Amino acid sequence: MAGSPEAAEEAEQGPEPSAGGTVRRGKRAAPRAAAPQAAKLSRAELYKPPTSEELNQLKETEDLFHSSLLRLQIEELLKEVTLKETKKKKIDAFLHEINSLLSAIPETPETELTDQAWLSKDVKVPFLQVPFNVKGRFHFVPPAELKVVGSYLLGTCIRPEINVDIAVTMPREIFQDKDNLNQRYHRKRALYLSHIAQHLSKEKLFGSVKFAYMNSNHLKPILLLRPQGKDEKMVTVRLHACPDSGLFKPSRFYPSKNNIRTAWFMEQSTPKEGTTEPPTPHYNNSILCDTVMLSHLHFLSNAATDFPGMKDGLALLKVWLNQRQLSKGLGCFSGFLVSMLVAYLLMKRKIVKMMSGYQVLRSTLQFLATTDLSVTGISLAKDADPSLPALDDFHQAFEVVFVDPSGLVNLCADMTASKYHQVQFEAKRSMEILDDRMVDGFQVLLMTPKPMLKTFDHVFHLKHVSKLQGTCKKMQLLNELMDRGGNYVAVALPFVVSLLARGLSRRAQLVAHSLPQIPEWPIDAEPPKHKDVGPVTFGLLFVPEFAASTLEKGPQADHPEALEFRTFWGEKSELRRFQDGSICEAVVWEASTVYQKRLISEQIVRHLLKLHADIPESSICYAGALLDSVISTGKEEQGTGEEAMVSVVCSYDDLSRKLWSLKELPLTVTAVQGVHPALRYTDVFPPIPMKPIYSFHTKSKHLLLPSEEKPCPAYITPLKIICHMEGSGQWPQDKGAIKRIKAAFHLQLAELLQQQHQLVCRPAVTYTDVYKDGYVFRLQVAYHREPLILKEVVTPEGMLKYQDTEESQQLELETLHLPYLTSSLHGLQQQHPVFGSTSRLAKRWISAQLLSDSISEECVDLLVAFLFLHPAPFTPPSSPQVGFLRFLNLLATFDWKNNPLIVNLNTGLTDSDCTEIKNKFVAARSRLPVMFLATPKDQCSSMWTRERPSAQILQRLVLLASESLRALEEQLMDPLSEQDVKMVFRPPLDIYDVLIHLNPNQIPRHLESVDRPAKSVSRGVVKNSSAMNILFPVVDYDPVQLYLQELRDAFDDLALFFYDKHGGEVIAVLWKPSSFQPQPFKVSNMKGRKVTTLNNELVCIPNVEAILEDFEILGEGLVKNVEARMEKWTI
Amino acid sequence: MAAATGSAAGAAPAGYTALAVKFAKRQCSPHCLLVKEHQVREGADAAHPPHRTLFVLNVPPYCGPDSLSRLFSRCGHVQSVDICDKRGSGEKKDKLMSKFFDQKTLKGFQVAYVVFKKPAAVQAAKALSQEGPLLISTESHPVKTGISKWITSYEASIVDPKELKAEVDAYMQDYDKKMAEEEAKAAKEEGVPDEEGWVKVTRKGRKPGLPRTEAANLRVLEKEKQKRARKELLNFYAWQHREVKREHIAQLRKKFEEDKQRIALMRAERKFRPY
Repeated sequence: MAGSPEAAEEAEQGPEPSAGGTVRRGKRAAPRAAAPQAAKLSRAELYKPPTSEELNQLKETEDLFHSSLLRLQIEELLKEVTLKETKKKKIDAFLHEINSLLSAIPETPETELTDQAWLSKDVKVPFLQVPFNVKGRFHFVPPAELKVVGSYLLGTCIRPEINVDIAVTMPREIFQDKDNLNQRYHRKRALYLSHIAQHLSKEKLFGSVKFAYMNSNHLKPILLLRPQGKDEKMVTVRLHACPDSGLFKPSRFYPSKNNIRTAWFMEQSTPKEGTTEPPTPHYNNSILCDTVMLSHLHFLSNAATDFPGMKDGLALLKVWLNQRQLSKGLGCFSGFLVSMLVAYLLMKRKIVKMMSGYQVLRSTLQFLATTDLSVTGISLAKDADPSLPALDDFHQAFEVVFVDPSGLVNLCADMTASKYHQVQFEAKRSMEILDDRMVDGFQVLLMTPKPMLKTFDHVFHLKHVSKLQGTCKKMQLLNELMDRGGNYVAVALPFVVSLLARGLSRRAQLVAHSLPQIPEWPIDAEPPKHKDVGPVTFGLLFVPEFAASTLEKGPQADHPEALEFRTFWGEKSELRRFQDGSICEAVVWEASTVYQKRLISEQIVRHLLKLHADIPESSICYAGALLDSVISTGKEEQGTGEEAMVSVVCSYDDLSRKLWSLKELPLTVTAVQGVHPALRYTDVFPPIPMKPIYSFHTKSKHLLLPSEEKPCPAYITPLKIICHMEGSGQWPQDKGAIKRIKAAFHLQLAELLQQQHQLVCRPAVTYTDVYKDGYVFRLQVAYHREPLILKEVVTPEGMLKYQDTEESQQLELETLHLPYLTSSLHGLQQQHPVFGSTSRLAKRWISAQLLSDSISEECVDLLVAFLFLHPAPFTPPSSPQVGFLRFLNLLATFDWKNNPLIVNLNTGLTDSDCTEIKNKFVAARSRLPVMFLATPKDQCSSMWTRERPSAQILQRLVLLASESLRALEEQLMDPLSEQDVKMVFRPPLDIYDVLIHLNPNQIPRHLESVDRPAKSVSRGVVKNSSAMNILFPVVDYDPVQLYLQELRDAFDDLALFFYDKHGGEVIAVLWKPSSFQPQPFKVSNMKGRKVTTLNNELVCIPNVEAILEDFEILGEGLVKNVEARMEKWTI
Repeated sequence: MAAATGSAAGAAPAGYTALAVKFAKRQCSPHCLLVKEHQVREGADAAHPPHRTLFVLNVPPYCGPDSLSRLFSRCGHVQSVDICDKRGSGEKKDKLMSKFFDQKTLKGFQVAYVVFKKPAAVQAAKALSQEGPLLISTESHPVKTGISKWITSYEASIVDPKELKAEVDAYMQDYDKKMAEEEAKAAKEEGVPDEEGWVKVTRKGRKPGLPRTEAANLRVLEKEKQKRARKELLNFYAWQHREVKREHIAQLRKKFEEDKQRIALMRAERKFRPY
C-alpha cells in the first residue's frame, strides 16, 4: 500500500491526478461528475505521531465546534458570504468619490419648509407630508461630517446584499428651536436628502440614485447610491442624514414625552382646552436613532476588537435570520440589532472573546430562546442614571424592549411582540436541532430557507391593507396613528395580531405576520403610500391536539370574566351546560367532518376580524385548504374522506375479530394484518360501501359479471388482508404442496365465514374475497415458513443454504414487510392526524402527473412519513397543504445521488446506525437504486424503490416537483390574482408522442379525476353498507388497467405508457429513443418490428403504423381514438 | 435467396420469409411474420420435428394458437401449434399442467412453432407471402379483444370451489403417499451401516447431529470467536494503552479526512450558497 497518491491529496496540489484533486479542480467544469467515494488514508498516514499543532486543531474542533464536519461546513459558508478583498478596494474607491462629491454640493437660500419650489421637478420629496402645513424654515448647507458607519466598517456585512451606510451629519445652522415638534426634523431631513439626490443624479459616477425607507419605516427615508456599470449589483451605499450631536436635548425624547401636537395632526386651528397630549414614543425614538449612530459604531467596534469569532458569528446569525425572512421590513430583527445583541451578551459575559463563530451563534440562540424581551427587556446602558427613563417606561411604550448604551433608544421599537415570539420560537427550535445528532444541523439551520408558506400550517392574506384604516377607527387608535405619522398598517398590525393570538390561544402555538416591506423607488417618483406595502400575510402554527376542537369553553356564567368572554366572542358566545354540571359561556363552531374541523381556525379568524377589526370577509384570502378538493369525491360537505377511512378500518377490525374466533378451522389464525393503503389511511380515494344493482350486470350462478352493453361498473377495490395461520407440523415442507394447502384454506375460510357469519364470499386459488359492510376484503393466507422454503438450496456438499429468489422476495414483501409498514404508518397516523391526508395529496399529485405506475405507493408513503418524523427545520405539518408543499420541496431539493433518505420509523435507528447506513451507502452507491430509502427494518436494500423509479423518471419527478412548487407558491402567496390552484394537478401533455384517448364510459374511476366530469353515468352501484346475502359484485375490474397491462406486455421495449389511474381520460405514450435506432436483425429482437433495407443493409425498425393500429385493436371498446403526433419522431 | 420477392410484407433476412398479417379487414398496416423451416440437430427437439415444423417470429399479442392453426391450415393439415416467449423455451413444457396452479399466460409478441403433418406444407406456408395479408380475425372466426376479452377473462377467473377442492385433495393424497414412502425408506435405513460401514446421522435418530445448514455453521464460528474474545485482556500492558490512544487519533484523522472529502464534493456542487 503506497502512500503517494494520498500524500499528494494531502498537499492539495500534487502533480499526480489523484481522485480528490480532480474533484476540487473540477469545480466549474463538471460539478456533477464525481460520485462520492470512501476516503482513504494510508496506514502510515493514519498512525504517524501527531504534531502539537495537529493535536491542538483536533482538540479545538472538538471543543469549539460540534464536529470537524460542521467546522469545515461553516468555514465554507463563511467563504461564500464574506466580502472579497478585491471588491473591498473597489468599494473604498467609490466611497472616496462620493465623499468629495457630497462636500461640493452648493448651498441654497432659506425658504419656508412648505415652499419647495426651489427643488427641481425631477426630484420628489421622499416623505408623505400629511398634513402638509408645518412651520419652520429650511436651507441646504453642505454636510458637516461624513462617516461610514455600520456593518461595512465592522466587516460583518455579508453577501449578496452589501450595504455601506454613510451618516451625513447635517450642520447645526439648518435647524431652529422646536424642530423636534410635528415632524419638522423629519421633513428637513427628507428635504436635505432630496437636494443631495438632485445633485448626485447628474453625476456619471452612479448607476442608479434611488430613495428607500430605512427598514420600511416611512419616517426615515434614505438615499441609495449604486456604482455605474457591471459593479451596480456589487454595493449599495445608503446615505442617512443625521443631526449634529447635542442639537436636541435628550430629555425631550423620553418615551413618555409628546412631540406631536394633536391640533396640528388633526389640522385644527386651536388646541382643545384641558386635554393632555398623548406620549409619542415611536416618533421620539425615530429622532433619537439618528443622534446615536456614531456612538453605536464606536460601541460595536469596541466589542469587535480582538474578537475574530464575533465577525463569523454575526455572519452566521445574519444568514440564519435571512433564511427565516426575519431581517427585512418594518420591525425586523435586523443585522444591526443582532450585532448589538451579541455586544450585550459580551457585556454580560455570556460570550467571551475566545469563542468561535459557531459558539457565538449557539450562545445567541440560547439567549433568544430563553429570554422574552417583550416581558423582561434588556438594556446596554452601563450605570443606572436615575434621570434616564426606566425599563418599565419603555415597556409601557413599546412591545419589545432592548435599550441601547445611551439608555434612550429602544432598538426594537418597531418590532411587534408576535415577531419577537417568532424569533424566540425559531431560536428554540434551532437549539433543539443543534443538539440533535441525527440531523445535519448546518444544512437545516443555515442552508434551508423557511418561507412562511412552508413554515406555517395555515396561511392567510389580508388582501387590502387599506381596510386597516377602518380597524384603527374601530379600535380608537388615533394617538398611535399620530405617533406613527399616520402609518395605519404599523399601528393596527400589533393589535390585530394580539387579537388573533388571543382568539387562537389554545389552538395555535404561534401566530405570526409578514413584515410590511416597501421597495425602493426612483427619485422622480412620488414616495409610496402606506397601502403600497401590498397584502399582509399571517401564519398560524397549530397545536395538533387542540387545533380541531369545536368547542371554546369560557368561564362560568356567574364569574366576572364571563362578560369579557362574551364581548370578545360577540354573538357566537352562548351559555351551555356541561357534563360536570357547570354552566359556562362557550362558543361552538359548526363542523361535522375532519376537513371542516381543520378549518375552524378560518371561521375564528374571519369572525374576530369582522367583529373587532371591521375587516370584511372579502378582504381575507384564507389559503389553508385550497388543495384539499382534489382528494375529496363528490360534494363539498362530504369532506376529504377521513371518515370513510375510519369506517373501513372499523369494518376491518370487526372482520379480523371474526377471523380469530372462527370455529372448526384445523389451524388457528395467529395474526390478521392489513396491507391495503386504506388500512394505513393513505389510500387516495378510500372505498365507499357499495351494493350492486342486479339489472346493471350479467348474472352468473351466484355472482355478477360486467355487461358488455352497459358502461363499466364502478371500481370496487379489494382490500387486501394477510391472514397468518398457526405454524404446525402438519404443514407440508414443499412449495407445491404449501400452495395447495393454502388454496384449501381459502376454500374453507369462505365456507366457514358464510356459515358462521353469513358473509358472502368468493374463494379463488390465491385468495378469498369477502363482501362485508359494503366493502370487499381480499383474504390471503400466509404460512411463516413459506418464504424460507422457497429460498432453500442444497449445495453439492449437502449443505442447506438460503438464497433469495424472486418468488421468495415477493412473498416476503407481501406477507412480512408490507404488513409491518402498514402497521407502522397506521401508528404514525395516530400521532399525526394529517399524515394520511398529506400522503394522499402527494399520491394524487404523482398520479395526476401520470407517474403513479413509475413509483411505488409505499415509497411515497415513506417519503411523506419522513416529513413528519424529520421535520427540521420546520415543525411536523398540521395541515395537508403545508405537508404537500414540503413533500414537493423534499422531492425537488433532496440530493438523491449522494445521500440516503433515512426514515426513522418508530425511532428504531440510533445515531451510529445512521452513520453506518451512510457509509454503506457511499461504498455501494453505484449498485443501489437511484432513490434510496432506509428504514429500521430495511437498512441497506431499499426494498420499496428497488425497481421503481428509474433514473429518468426520478429526474422528471424532480423537475415536475420543483416546477409545481414554484407555481403553487406563486399562486398561494398572491391573493390578488384569481388563479386556479388545481393547475399543478393538470399534467403537461406536450412531451408525449402518442395520446390514446379513452371512452369515459369504460373508465370505472372517472369520478375521481381532478376536474370532475360535468355529467356522470350510472355505474350500477348504490351506496349501502348493510346489504347481506347478495350476489357477489364485480371486484377489481378496471378495463383501463387491463389495457395498460397488455400494452406494456406487448410494447415494453418500444415505448413507455403513462396514465392517471384516478380517472384519467388519456394514456400518454413516449417512444423509447433507443428502440427507434435501426438495428441489425436478431431473432430475440423482432417484437413489433419489420425488416427493411437501409443503405443496402437489412435492418429492423419498429413497425409504427401497425403498432398504432394495435393500440386500437387491443383496446377495442375502450379506446376512443389514437392521436399520433407524427411530427415528433422520425425513424 | 434472401429478400422476399416483392410481397406486401417487405424484406426478410436470410433464410426467412416475410408474411404480412392483419387483424381484420379494417386495418391498413400489416405486421409481418417471419417464418422459416425449423432446424435443429437430429433428435434434439422431439416436440418440433425438423422438415415439417415452421418457426414463426413476431406473432402479435392478439394472435393465439387457434388463429395460427387456422391461418396455416390452408397449407396443409396442422398437427400442433406451440406458442412461447422466445426461441427454444418451449422444450421443457411438457410437464403436466394444472388448471389452477403454475399457470403462465404468454403476453406480448411471441414466437411460435407450427408442426404440420407433411413437410410439403412448410413450403406452401412460405409461398403465402405472395398473397395478400392474412387476416387473424374473420367474420366466421372472430377474435375477441378489448372489453369483450376482458369480460370473458373475468368470467374465466372465477373458480369453481368444488373442482378446486377435488384437485387439491387429489394432489395432497399423492403428496402424502410420496412422503410416507420416503419416511418408510428413511426409517428402514436408520442406523443401518452401508457397505463401507458408514452410518447416516439424521434428525430423527437418538443423537441428532448438527443440522447441515449455512446458518448453523455461521453460528458455530461466531461462538468460537466470542469465546476467544472473552479470554483476551485489553488493558493489561502499557503498549495496549498506547495503542488505544494511537487508535483514537487515527480515528479522528480518518474522520477528518472523510469530512474534508465530503466538503470538497459539496463545494464542487456549490452547496454552500445559502440563497
